[in-house]
Amino acid sequence: MMINQLAFGPWLDYTVNGLIIGNIYALLAVGLALIFGVANLINFAHGSVYTVGAYLGWASITYLHTPLPVTLVIVITGSALLGVAIERVGLRALHGSSRIAPLLATIGISLVLDQLVQLFCSPDPRALASQLPDLRIQIGRGTIGTLDLLIAGVGLVSATGLYGFLRYTKLGWAVRATAQDQDAARQMGVDTDRVNVTVFAIASALGGVSGLLVGMYYNSIDPNMSFDATLKGVVAMMIGGLGNVPGALGGGLLLGLTESYGIALFGSSYRNLFAFALLILILVAAPNGLFGRRRDLPPEPMTGTFIARSRPLRLPRALVAGVVLAAALLPLLPAPYLLQTLTTALLSALLALSLTLVAGTVGQISLGHAALLAIGGYASGLLALDCGLPFVWSVPLAGVITALLGTLLVFPALRMQGHYVSIATLGIGEIVTLVILNWTGLTQGAMGLTGIPAPAIGGIELTSVRSVYWLVLVLVVAIALLQTRLLSGHLGRTWRAIREDEVAARSYGVAANRYKALAFGFGAFGAGVGGAITAHLYSYIDYRTFDTTLSILALTMVILGGLGNVAGAVLGSVLLVSLPELFRAAAEYRMLAYGLVLLVLIRYRPQGLLGTV
Amino acid sequence: MDHQAPEAPLLQLDRLNSYYGPVQVHFDLSLSVPAGQIVCLLGGNASGKSTTMKAILGLTRPHSGTVRFAGQPITGLPTPEIVRRGISSVPEARRLFPAMTVQENLLMGAYIRSDARAIGQDLDRVLERFPRLRERLRQRAGTLSGGEQQMVAMARALMGRPRLICMDEPTMGLSPLFVERVLDLIQEINRDGVSVFMVEQNASLALRIAHFAYVLQSGLIVLSGPPGRMLSDARIRDAYLGGEPGL
Repeated sequence: MMINQLAFGPWLDYTVNGLIIGNIYALLAVGLALIFGVANLINFAHGSVYTVGAYLGWASITYLHTPLPVTLVIVITGSALLGVAIERVGLRALHGSSRIAPLLATIGISLVLDQLVQLFCSPDPRALASQLPDLRIQIGRGTIGTLDLLIAGVGLVSATGLYGFLRYTKLGWAVRATAQDQDAARQMGVDTDRVNVTVFAIASALGGVSGLLVGMYYNSIDPNMSFDATLKGVVAMMIGGLGNVPGALGGGLLLGLTESYGIALFGSSYRNLFAFALLILILVAAPNGLFGRRRDLPPEPMTGTFIARSRPLRLPRALVAGVVLAAALLPLLPAPYLLQTLTTALLSALLALSLTLVAGTVGQISLGHAALLAIGGYASGLLALDCGLPFVWSVPLAGVITALLGTLLVFPALRMQGHYVSIATLGIGEIVTLVILNWTGLTQGAMGLTGIPAPAIGGIELTSVRSVYWLVLVLVVAIALLQTRLLSGHLGRTWRAIREDEVAARSYGVAANRYKALAFGFGAFGAGVGGAITAHLYSYIDYRTFDTTLSILALTMVILGGLGNVAGAVLGSVLLVSLPELFRAAAEYRMLAYGLVLLVLIRYRPQGLLGTV
Repeated sequence: MDHQAPEAPLLQLDRLNSYYGPVQVHFDLSLSVPAGQIVCLLGGNASGKSTTMKAILGLTRPHSGTVRFAGQPITGLPTPEIVRRGISSVPEARRLFPAMTVQENLLMGAYIRSDARAIGQDLDRVLERFPRLRERLRQRAGTLSGGEQQMVAMARALMGRPRLICMDEPTMGLSPLFVERVLDLIQEINRDGVSVFMVEQNASLALRIAHFAYVLQSGLIVLSGPPGRMLSDARIRDAYLGGEPGL
């Protein structure tokens, strides 16, 4: 079988395929690199522009019956305008706020755009037929189709056009100057706002076109393809070096080839695993990228966390005690639906408490936090199913396993700062999901874990909604109290010192990595327990149960409550989980609402409801 | 004290109050640069010198007060607009575009202009004045020595055909030889009719070429006058020009 696959013909096909997909990645990565260059921002809405581009093309072919050149023009124009709108409406106001703020805003924009596409075009996949004659040219024993040639052509034309623009036009010079030194560019008379808009327009046009091309290539588009596209683009850009435009081209092609050969050798479910393994490798070994020039880029240019200075609201103890008491007495009301909703909310509060510690107190904005739930859920589920361990043992043990495994996994990210932490944790989170998917022997792969026993204490199953609610409530209160206690002592002080100025903290002898690991470990324990209980409650989990959307949602909860704020994390979870439930009609607008909440918070109340700590 | 020079000044700062976060940097700062002169603003670290520069260029917005250029108020205008009105700058630490070539850096200086032929002629003229740069035209600016970078920064500022050049510590970090050269060049530029406003920490150097000087301390102008008077004033020598300690 292997020998068969290694024959020349298929390999040529794999190479062509890798280069074609690589070309798409390159188009995405070049846009991301351009934007990073002038705006110091990793644009997480880039994949959504790609999706919108694909749908624009689909709509124009389906409803207007446009021929290919016209379709391309429509997609380019529409995507460029969308890019302009993103910059003007979503990001310009954030100039001067901390650098991670616009990144979070692009996540919000992405949620909004994806949901809008879903609302207008239905969440189901659509066929997007290539409008080209189906000719294939035989080369040796491999073939090249017309669409391959079109994609290669678009790539080549874009690269040449971009080179010409940056090299020979005045605006192109302004773009390069702004990327190198924004203040100096302004002192030459460059209108950097105009440069920003231009770059967003160009990048988004490229992104939109690549969405259209990919849709044609696979003859299918769906609203969920955004996130994957963003990730691949980011990985390709990181391979080339943050903000390095020619590097992004090379990175895209390299990523495409790596994936294609990886699929050839191991099968297609490993595809993304290669991409993310490559990402982590690059982040650890060559943070300036493979083609990074020797110019002295600071190794961590993206420091600065999203902590808006504020005085946290002092909650009187009596009030907190009263709320807890009321929450404890709530099951006496005959409202099972409310209890169920609050149980879900409190389970997410376990994740939020963990994230608010890591992202708020220690300042490491983690974008892959839901992976901890997955680890906890699978650990407890497997301990119960395979080892017959009772609930009372499997859950805490799952917490410990999550703490150990989570800390170990995040180890490469401990020495990073700012944006790099976010990207690394995002990649690590994806890797966890993909390992679960592919390690069939342990995790049942795509089948998921079924028949996880319901929670039981001392042989008595907790079947009633009430008892489960109480169990989770007790856990949340216990962890929240412990976390508050830790924060008020030596540990909390040291964590905050690392957040405020890691270099200064280190120079006072603080072993920053160890303290970060401690925070991740403590946080991972709580999240792992949360995931474990969730698994037992659902009785079924699979690799998608705890996905990146949940990570983003957790981040929104934490920001809503106030980064680092323990009570805020619980409040944020309760609000974000239960409010949409209470307005059930709005269920399909949920992600839209989350996206808007995130955007509004970042713009108008970055310190959250209860204030950052 | 004579804060105001007699003839109508090219640049005039009138009772500027600026803040850096919650900290007030300028307290009713007033100064002026008459057309055709070299005016220096002297002061130590954290005296508010660089913020003055930023306020003129519109990089920070003063809390109150006005900046006037050629009789027009320019306070609060965006930086590109201020540049277009005729103010070029040689920023602190030069701030070249390191990955662009020397030629590209120089042409960036003419970004606000669109007269291609005149720009070409100006490039030639500038290169005559800075012959060293002609050999380096195709080299990346980031690879030049500090002194050469200072030349590029000054040449770049000239390419905009400014009426006023603002320089932030133009001699900082340069070897003594280059310091002399830079001072000569500033005087040459000035003789061609360009007014110069420079911020300097090294008072004895700056006073050698200035027509008029101000001393800024903690956001207040504490002294001003022509350099001759400053140099002869024992207090100033002691406080700002590195006079004998204990005298």
